[in-house]
Amino acid sequence: MKNNFFKDVKLGVFVLSGLLLLIFLLYMIGRNRNMFGSNFNLRARFENVQGLKAGNNIRFSGIDIGTVKGVKIINDTLMEVEMIIDKKVKNVLKKNAIVSITTDGLVGNKIVNITAVKSPSLYAEENDILPSKKSIDTDEMLRTLSKTNNDVAVIANDLKITINKLNTSEGLWTLLSDKSIAKNINNAVAEVNSASTNINIISKNIGTITNDIKNGKGTIGKLISDTLLPKSIDEAVMNIKKAGVNIVKLSSDLNKAVLNIDTMINDGEGTVHALMKDSSIVIKINKSLDNIQEGSKGFSDNMDALKHNFLFRGYFRKLEKSKQKQ
Amino acid sequence: MKNTSSINIFLKEVGDTSGFGWRFLTQWFRPRYEIKEFIKQCYIIGYKSLPLIGLTGFIMGLVLTMQLRPTMVDYGVESQIPAIVGIAIIREIGPVITALIFAGKIGSSIGAELGSMKVTEQIDAMEVSGTNPFKYLVVSRILATTFMLPILVILSDTISLYGAYLGVNIRNVTSFQLFWIQVFDSLSFNDVLPAFIKTYFFGFVVGLIGCYKGYNSNKGTEGVGKSANSAVVVSSVLIFIIDLLAVQITDLLGFN
Amino acid sequence: MIENDHDNNIVLRIRNLNKAFGDNKVLSDFNLELYKNQNIVVLGKSGSGKSVLIKCIIGLLKPDSGSIEIFNKNSLDLNTEELDKIRAKIGFLFQSNALYDSMTVRDNLEFPLRRHWINYSQDEIQKMVVQALTDVQLAHTIDMMPVELSGGMRKRIALARTLILKPEIILYDEPTTGLDPITGKEIINLMVEIKNKYNTASLIISHDIKCVKYASDNVIILLEGKCYASGKYEELILSKDEKVKQFFE
Repeated sequence: MKNNFFKDVKLGVFVLSGLLLLIFLLYMIGRNRNMFGSNFNLRARFENVQGLKAGNNIRFSGIDIGTVKGVKIINDTLMEVEMIIDKKVKNVLKKNAIVSITTDGLVGNKIVNITAVKSPSLYAEENDILPSKKSIDTDEMLRTLSKTNNDVAVIANDLKITINKLNTSEGLWTLLSDKSIAKNINNAVAEVNSASTNINIISKNIGTITNDIKNGKGTIGKLISDTLLPKSIDEAVMNIKKAGVNIVKLSSDLNKAVLNIDTMINDGEGTVHALMKDSSIVIKINKSLDNIQEGSKGFSDNMDALKHNFLFRGYFRKLEKSKQKQ
Repeated sequence: MKNTSSINIFLKEVGDTSGFGWRFLTQWFRPRYEIKEFIKQCYIIGYKSLPLIGLTGFIMGLVLTMQLRPTMVDYGVESQIPAIVGIAIIREIGPVITALIFAGKIGSSIGAELGSMKVTEQIDAMEVSGTNPFKYLVVSRILATTFMLPILVILSDTISLYGAYLGVNIRNVTSFQLFWIQVFDSLSFNDVLPAFIKTYFFGFVVGLIGCYKGYNSNKGTEGVGKSANSAVVVSSVLIFIIDLLAVQITDLLGFN
Repeated sequence: MIENDHDNNIVLRIRNLNKAFGDNKVLSDFNLELYKNQNIVVLGKSGSGKSVLIKCIIGLLKPDSGSIEIFNKNSLDLNTEELDKIRAKIGFLFQSNALYDSMTVRDNLEFPLRRHWINYSQDEIQKMVVQALTDVQLAHTIDMMPVELSGGMRKRIALARTLILKPEIILYDEPTTGLDPITGKEIINLMVEIKNKYNTASLIISHDIKCVKYASDNVIILLEGKCYASGKYEELILSKDEKVKQFFE
């Protein structure tokens, strides 16, 4: 009998522990769903509840304060969300707090977010309807994102084609790796440079002369008999001409190169892979590109300076006019 | 008996088992109540199975966590391990693994016990001694398995989750409290109740098949072994079938 | 037997009993009468339906037709509760003893006492168990499990369990089968002793000639589901019928 008694006790403990665990589990879930304890109800109205369901969490400034009790349809454009809120936040939550529906993380559950507004208001009471804010719908967001993606895809495709063309054309690479072009450009720039220095000197001289004339210094005859000045101007103009020729040559070279590239593309020649794999070529290309950049920058600086020099303004205007005529 | 094509044998078996189950359903609530025997069987079937089921549950929780970790880390959701393991154990793995172990231990022992009782005329002897052997042996055992398995599943779930907690802590540190909060947060009644209710059916099936196979055992010791074996096989298969039905029913009712 | 005694002394009357399993007719129009303080041995070949006969009597099998009157009540018309009351007065010794493996000897003996709707006190039960075990000289085994006992001891424990309710009819299903001749003889002696001590009527199913010789008042030879011959052992042993003779060779 004693033995039987202990068996019964063991069985009792076994069954009770099982039942207690079950009750505990259900209680914990119920507590998470705010089924026990003191709560109060609030409501909010939305045009679109974005799949919000009973049981979704409600957050106030990042703290879980309740759950959604249910969603009611009021009419075809208005849905009402009923919320069960923990009583603890009753003297914190105000009537003007804004309710919005968001997503927990990027792919998480829907949650209701209540955001406090920094202006005075009464505390929210049972069954109040809080103002709501239309939040960015993930769907819409994704739609925009997908459009952007499409655009990016198109651009990427174009880029790919361009790069493919560049890669497959041997002409461009030979052009880029040709150091003589860079040298030519450099030379041209140097000459333009020296020309402009000369012109500067000349202009200074002219400045002094005109000053002298204004001030009544010297004589006009002296001025006329001075042969230095026209000679200097002649020299400068010649230099500029030379530079122009060089530039024309350079541009025609470039034209030729581009033509070559075109024919290459049309003929489908060239070995992209070899080029791409050969890192020394890439380095070379990089270097030559750098050189070109440097050279052209210096060139354009000089050209700018030249443009601004009053003596050559007329020359450049003429150039522009002839361009327009063409 | 001449038509012994396997499909007919199968259909006859299904019919007989259903008839046996129907007999149980129409008998169990009628007197005489074999309460003492029921409690004795609860002790043997429930309490005595706890160590085995606790051990398998613990290992299951631990292993599941460790197996899930690499994938979860790959997806960068390592912190969700307690939630995922909790749902997996409560909803599916706990009930099914426990029921299978239970079928292996209890189904076979009931099949063998009743089988040998049948073969050695003990069942007849009971009937002669003013006892309805169906009530004394079958009803008490089926009720015991039906009511003990859910309790075993709850205990096994708890032990499994503790195993999962240790599994999380092998590579990472989670406080005991945070682990349980994460588990409970991820669960809802829709996870717990269908899983809990289906364990009653698992328990019922293990008891029913064990008793049926034993009660209809053939003469001879070979018959006893066959009953024990087929009790385990049939009840294991039925557990999966019930599991399938349960998930579809809960889905239909919208509790999933 | 005197016709007057007839109704008082008759405990079991079987009339036109039929039982078939499929096409196999096990019993066909079988008749039998058993009186108080009488041991009848039913002799038959294996599979001739001897066991079926006593299982029909105790209600484990339902006959196809015929009547079984026990204490002048047709047992086939009784409901479960009435049947249980009749069964409490009938002892049944199973061929395989049918001791409950999961119970001790004491629990085995107590089982019928507790189950038959009869309210005995704890002391009474204790006394009856000890008495029954003493009758079979196995009082020391009271707290042992059946598996710990030898075949002969188990048979005797089973007999003790059969006797514990002081039955008026005892049905023996092959009581000596599977025992060595010496133990078999002991069991036969016990059977005779019980009959003399408690005034019981017994129906013994057997194919053991020793059983017939020592325990029978009357012998029935069961052949093809019918009572082929009946009479005292001494008469039958002299029979010139070939089919009867084969049982006594």
